[in-house]
Amino acid sequence: MSVLQAILDGLLVGGVYAVISIGLTLVYGVMGIVNFAQGEFLTIGMFVAWFAWAFLGLDPVLAAPLSFGVAFAIGWIVQGQLIARVLKAPSVAQIFLTVGILIVIENGSLLLFGSQFRSVTTVYQTMSLRLGPLFISVPYLIAFAMSLACGTALWWFMQSSWFGRAMRATAQNPVAAQLVGIDTARMYKIAYALGVGLTAFGGAIILPYVTVFPSVGGQFVVLMFTVVVLGGLGSVAGAVAGGLAVGVIQSLSSLVFPIQLQNLVLFIVFILVLAIRPQGLVGASR
Amino acid sequence: MAGAATPGSAASQQKTPAKCRARCGTHSHNRVRNTEGRRKREGGMSKNVQSQVKGLNRRTLFAGTVSLLAMPSVLHSAHAATPVINVGVIMPLSGANAQFGINSRNGIELVADEINAAGGIKELGGAKINLIVADSTSTPTTAGTVAQRLITQNDVVAILGAFASSLTIAISEVTERQDVPLLTMSFADQITGRGYKNIFQVVAKASVIGKAQLDYTAAIAQAAGAKIDKIAIMYEDTAYGTAQAGGLRAGAKAANIEIVMDDAYPLGITDATPLINKLRTSGAQAVFPVSYLNDSLLIIRTMRQQRITIPAVGGAAGYVIPDFEKGLGEFAENVLSIAPANYDLAPGLTERFRKRFGYFMVHEALEHAVCLEVLVQAIEKAKSAKAQDVVATLHGAKFTHGWTRAMPGGTVEFDQTGLNTLSVPLMVQWRNKELVTVWPKDIAKSEAKWQS
Repeated sequence: MSVLQAILDGLLVGGVYAVISIGLTLVYGVMGIVNFAQGEFLTIGMFVAWFAWAFLGLDPVLAAPLSFGVAFAIGWIVQGQLIARVLKAPSVAQIFLTVGILIVIENGSLLLFGSQFRSVTTVYQTMSLRLGPLFISVPYLIAFAMSLACGTALWWFMQSSWFGRAMRATAQNPVAAQLVGIDTARMYKIAYALGVGLTAFGGAIILPYVTVFPSVGGQFVVLMFTVVVLGGLGSVAGAVAGGLAVGVIQSLSSLVFPIQLQNLVLFIVFILVLAIRPQGLVGASR
Repeated sequence: MAGAATPGSAASQQKTPAKCRARCGTHSHNRVRNTEGRRKREGGMSKNVQSQVKGLNRRTLFAGTVSLLAMPSVLHSAHAATPVINVGVIMPLSGANAQFGINSRNGIELVADEINAAGGIKELGGAKINLIVADSTSTPTTAGTVAQRLITQNDVVAILGAFASSLTIAISEVTERQDVPLLTMSFADQITGRGYKNIFQVVAKASVIGKAQLDYTAAIAQAAGAKIDKIAIMYEDTAYGTAQAGGLRAGAKAANIEIVMDDAYPLGITDATPLINKLRTSGAQAVFPVSYLNDSLLIIRTMRQQRITIPAVGGAAGYVIPDFEKGLGEFAENVLSIAPANYDLAPGLTERFRKRFGYFMVHEALEHAVCLEVLVQAIEKAKSAKAQDVVATLHGAKFTHGWTRAMPGGTVEFDQTGLNTLSVPLMVQWRNKELVTVWPKDIAKSEAKWQS
């Protein structure tokens, strides 16, 4: 029974890992930028949701679209003003830039909001559903459902909307895309804004069970990179598979090993997967 | 700010000469004269350097030189007015432990302002306390570097800090080498357990606190007619959690209580479900989580989700600050925790903190306030602000008045290792958004409730 419980918990947590990581993989997939500042957009999303909760009385889950919007706007500006300048630069310059953005956002929020821990109180925070002997944590379940909805919406957007197809075309061949009349600069903006917006959305939906403070993104960023590399860097389906896999591995490993070694087990599996399937679980090569 | 201003002004500088040259010929004269003037001022400057200087922004250079010349005199005049004693304060003001660092700094600032307002350090001609606050972030290496800087550049008489044991240990390596006293409220046993002579710990050690956490709980349960023989321990794996868990284990062994779960977890954990799953199947009758705020919220929330109703007895840190109650609301009610001190034992003093900062005086603020109080009393007694005189006095004397009265025991006295031998831990319980001392019985403000 405890194995089932562990798998269930792992899947619920993993769904959230997936949605916060999709943004990272999207940004890489479309424009080839490894966005080290991705975790900070999670923080931004959490802060927006916290303020919406504290001052507007909005539940963090309902505030998630607001978080998405704010991060989308910031992402649009950041891409247009900063990232666009290093698209063709050596990757070192790209790393410096995104790490620089990370530092600016982290310290900016420290300056603006101070360093205290902020958490919300909601009615469902301490509730769970019983499924026979299994417990389903309500805040985890809500976050998972929201992730699922968000992932589906993104999938529809990428597959069926004109923007989505244009974005995929840009990812495949920017020059050809431009030749057929796609404004690639605009596609990059949309991709980046969408990518960080999704992560911020994820930040808001985990707020009922995670405390927000300026460096909270750092706790998730390693997981995010593990998820996307495990799933196959640049692949949205890979991020979903990777997210679920990471959640389940973490959860199952704590049945056998001390919880301290949770991430160690994760990284061992990670290295093994990379050794056997360097292209990741869902082998989409860019 | 200077960095932001420079590019703009440099650009305007580049534009102006070109524009002016087109209109008049006077600027070239000016430039020559200025260069000559500079050569006179600065003596033998090589041609090479000069051409570089010309490329730089002259106005910036001039402004920089003037401010550099002016700065020491400004500082000097400030020093001349009243004698000043520099006290270093190193706290985690950013990163995972920032809130605790800020609470601690608030406590120290309150006492410093009170002492300064009351005429400063009398034996040293009314010298004012000048706090030099530095951010250790939440990483030990930074803490060590910052300590080094405070000692060599700011000439501090002592250092106070740094809440988290792992940070304090890093700082103590530096203060021990440099012979500067370090006063702390960190719990870990290593702090006074390494034979250092410049370190002073105003609270009981983590192992003692851990043992008290268990002993008091057993006593409270017994007083309520319950008996515990199976317990669970979970702790964050830095110096603080590890040391306190050791005390819990020793206490359980002495009381013949079985430990059915004993798990360390990494600080900054994002999901406590595996811990609580394990707890549920362990059959424990009480759980002893030793954690900072973020993890303590996760643990209690997940326990409530899984309807685990056994009492949780926190290990200070995360369980005894207002944010704990804010994060849990009604679910915080009746949660017990061990604490090295509590504000309700000396409301006359601690209410001054609440008045100024708007929340009750959390224990780390209180104990760090006591650290500064003890330091000032030691300087008064030694009639000297030399680090070594202060250390000698700290080792020998009893400190009995002012903020030391807020400590359980009411007095501070350090033994040869630097440990305050008079401090005893106490048990507190959340009641209607306030922390109430409920054990030991002789100092309790209210009766303990044995329920989750």
